[in-house]
Parts: sequence; C-alpha cells; structure tokens
Amino acid sequence: MPSDRALQDDVIRALADAPYRGSADWRRRELADPDRVERYARFLARHFYYERIVHFFKYSRALARVTGRAPEAILKGPAFDALLPTLVLGSRETAAAVGRLVTAYVAAGRMPIPYLADLLRYEEAMMVVEAGARVWRDADEAEGAGSPKGVPAGPRERYRPETVAGTVLLELAYDLPAVLPKLLQPWTEVPQALERPTRLLVARSPHGRVAVARSDASVAAVIERADGRRTLEELAAGAGLQVAELRQTLQGLVDLGAVRFSTGS
Amino acid sequence: MTQLMVGAFYNPHLGADLARSDGIDHLAMADPPAASDPWWPAIRGRYTLLLHDYLGQLSEPLDERSIQRARALAELYRSPWVAEHFQCLHTEDGSYNLNYVFPPLYTEEFLDRFVRNACALKARLDQPLVMENIPGFFDVKASQMPEPIWLRRFFEATGAGFLLDLPHVWLQAHYHHMPAERWLDEFPLEHVMELHVAGVADDADLAGPWIAPAEPSDEMLAFAAHAVSRCPRARAITFDAFSPTLTADVLFRSVERIRGAI
Repeated sequence: MPSDRALQDDVIRALADAPYRGSADWRRRELADPDRVERYARFLARHFYYERIVHFFKYSRALARVTGRAPEAILKGPAFDALLPTLVLGSRETAAAVGRLVTAYVAAGRMPIPYLADLLRYEEAMMVVEAGARVWRDADEAEGAGSPKGVPAGPRERYRPETVAGTVLLELAYDLPAVLPKLLQPWTEVPQALERPTRLLVARSPHGRVAVARSDASVAAVIERADGRRTLEELAAGAGLQVAELRQTLQGLVDLGAVRFSTGS
Repeated sequence: MTQLMVGAFYNPHLGADLARSDGIDHLAMADPPAASDPWWPAIRGRYTLLLHDYLGQLSEPLDERSIQRARALAELYRSPWVAEHFQCLHTEDGSYNLNYVFPPLYTEEFLDRFVRNACALKARLDQPLVMENIPGFFDVKASQMPEPIWLRRFFEATGAGFLLDLPHVWLQAHYHHMPAERWLDEFPLEHVMELHVAGVADDADLAGPWIAPAEPSDEMLAFAAHAVSRCPRARAITFDAFSPTLTADVLFRSVERIRGAI
C-alpha cells in the first residue's frame, strides 16, 4: 500500500508527464476523473512554459515591437498543441522542443536584426539549461564528496572535477552581454551589438539558478575535459594551466554550477 | 472588528504608480524586490508590506536555507505576518514540478505532515504564520475528508492564521455545483486574518473559469462582503493579482471597489 505522499507524487507526475498520463499504469489507478486531469494538465503546461518563455526570452520580447513576434504567442498556436501529448514539464527535452518553437517563430519576424540568431540561441540555451530535476531542499547532513560547494581541499587524487550535465558553452558572433541591458531600457532605435566572437558559459546551480559568464579557451578546455575521471593534474595538463590556476578557475565554475566534484575511487 | 486594511500585490512594473498612489493600505510581496527596481525604496517607506513569497511546501520540513530566507524577507518587509500555501506541487525527489499551486491530498498523513512542519516553521519565525487555501480542479479519490474539515483541524492544531482566498473558495464551489456561500460556511472562518479577492476568467483548457489578473465581478465583491462579515479577526483584504499584464487602472479600480463593497 503506497503512502499518501507517494500517491500525491503519482498525481503530480500524471499532471507533469503527458506520456505517463496516457499510460495504462496511471489509468488503471483511477485516482481522478481523466478528462478533468487532462484539461488541468494542459492548463498547467501552458502556464509552465508561459512563465519560462516570458523570463528567458525577455530580450526577444523587448524586440517584439519591431519584430512583430511576441515569443509567448506560440503557446496559443497549433504547433504547441501538437506537442502537448509528449510534454514532460521541466524536462530538458521538452524545454528544447518548446525553445525550438519559439526561436523559429521569432526568427521569422518582419524586421531583420543582425544579432537575432545569436540572441535566440542564447535565450533558448538559458531555458534548456534551467530544465531538469533540482534540489528543492538541502539535505540535513553534509553533502560529502559530491558537494558542489567548493574545490575540496583534501587529497587531490580523491576528487575529480566533473562538468555538470546540461552546462552549455555558446560560441556567438556578436557581443551579446553588452547589448542585453540596453534592450530592457527604453529605446527608439533598436540597440546594436558589436560583431565580435564571444564565448559564454551557461550553467545551473543544484537549486535551479541559471548563471551566465564570459568564457575563454582555458575555461572551455576545462569544461570539455572535466569528466569525473581525470585528476586535477591531468586536467591542468590538458587545459594548459598550472594546478594553482586550475583550482582558481574551478572555484569560479563550481560557484556558477558548471562543475562539481565526484569521488574518483 | 478592527478596521480592515485594503491593499494589493506589489507589481514592480506598476512601481511608479504605486509609489505615488493614495488609497492603498498595504502591498503583498510575491517576489523579493529586484536590485534594479528604482521604486522599491519609496514602496518600502510608504507601505505596510506582507510577505507572500514561495517559502517551500510544508508537506516536507523547510530546510535551514529556506527558513533563513523567510526570516530575512520578513525582516526586510517588516511584515506583520508571513504567508504560505496549502500546497504540494513537486514530488519528494524533485523529479516533477508543476510550478503552480496544487493542493495536497486531504488525508490524516498529510495533515500530520503539514501540522508538524508548520509548527516547526512557526517556531523559527518572529511573526505569525498564515496559510492560504488552494483550489483543486478535480478531486483525488485518495482524499479522506473535505477540505474545510482538514483546514479546521490544521488551524486548531497549529494556532496558525487563515489566509482565506475567496476566488479559490468560489472556484471550488463552482466546480462542485454548490452555492459559494454555502461552501464558505464550512470553513473555519474564526481563524481568518487576511482575505484575498480577485477576478476570474474563462480558460480554454479548463472550459470554465479560473483565477485571472482581472477585476473582481460584482458577484465576487458581494461574496467578499459576505465573507468579511463572517471573519471577526480579519485584519486585511488584498486584491490578489500579480502579473506583468496587470494594468494600473485595473489594480486601483479593484482596490477602490473592494473598499466600497466591504
């Protein structure tokens, strides 16, 4: 006999996970009116992605008066309705699918903006990175070797940096960070971005906070090589850094949520 | 009954209007102020502020980080009470999250969980805790008692205050084909400290009404007046609308009409 908490989790999953809602496993439990559950799940899906689109695509939203394309408009279109039977609220796959709908819609706007493609990639990356299971409450006990809180000071052999799943490195043609704040301020002419190769790191903390930082070749090398198996020394050699430099870089990456430490036993 | 404060939610995009306005006694804070909000100092200086953020779901104990956050926000706002919801919206392992208020099963096990965790939170706050009722669009067969009974037992066991959301009661009544006043009578109104009033609008997915950032109808205002007369300990009534689509006209007119109705 499942606990009431487990039953509640089952109801939450049914509302969040459309394939599960359609499964025999869920239907045979007959916990609630299936028509009502379906309608409420669709309402929740639109609400869930409205909140995320308005937040993560806020710069495209600010441009809507010249593009004629408000990103959240896709939620009322047939393409989003077609996704509904497959949606799993909060999953990376669903975030990517919804993000693709938004970018395709906004990119077809009536006014060409040179950096719009970069902007949409950036906003889509933010939305996808934010997705995935998160820590809702901290454990009562210390988190041990897998702690994301800092570069461990213990024996180096034991701890091996690992890039957190979902972390993204973006290579952009325009210097977006310089133009983003201007888009949210009052403007009459569309703010322009400098054409300059720009590398950004987008990562998420275990609690779901998304952070962005400018990146360089050494950071990119660390992110690409940190697989949870290489030691600090091996990683430093591969990234062309001294171990002391690497520790400093890693501290910044841990703070962003891009890297964690696993026990390399 | 003491004089009721009549207020609204702080909507940062209406900061300039709210910083200058008369006729609003308090503002409920759904989010912390943004560092870039130019109106925040004036708002904080001018209004009684009510903490109404997401602190956590009390089906589980709040962790220390969440408790410290609640304490810090209550102090920042100088909030006379701290509000949370009767909600259980993410799974225990964090895999699934509805990102929208969703009620718990009304069972003995959940009652025990909420009582225990609310008492633990209360003990760590310097202000009273008030808890808001949450509507369900469908019934779950595993529930063991009606919502009002469950709430009554919760308030009696914890001594927490009741934040009575009237549109939530109205919606529950609507979807159960029951007169709203009759459904309201079932609730433990003697524990009410604050009331929420808002509009409802038809939703295409639900094929019926749901909460919306809209003006309350005359029917909802009459319902509010009826409810206020039954809540002897109520201290505030709040126009419950928090949305980037909310306009200043709707906010100010709603507060004025609520004041007129009660």
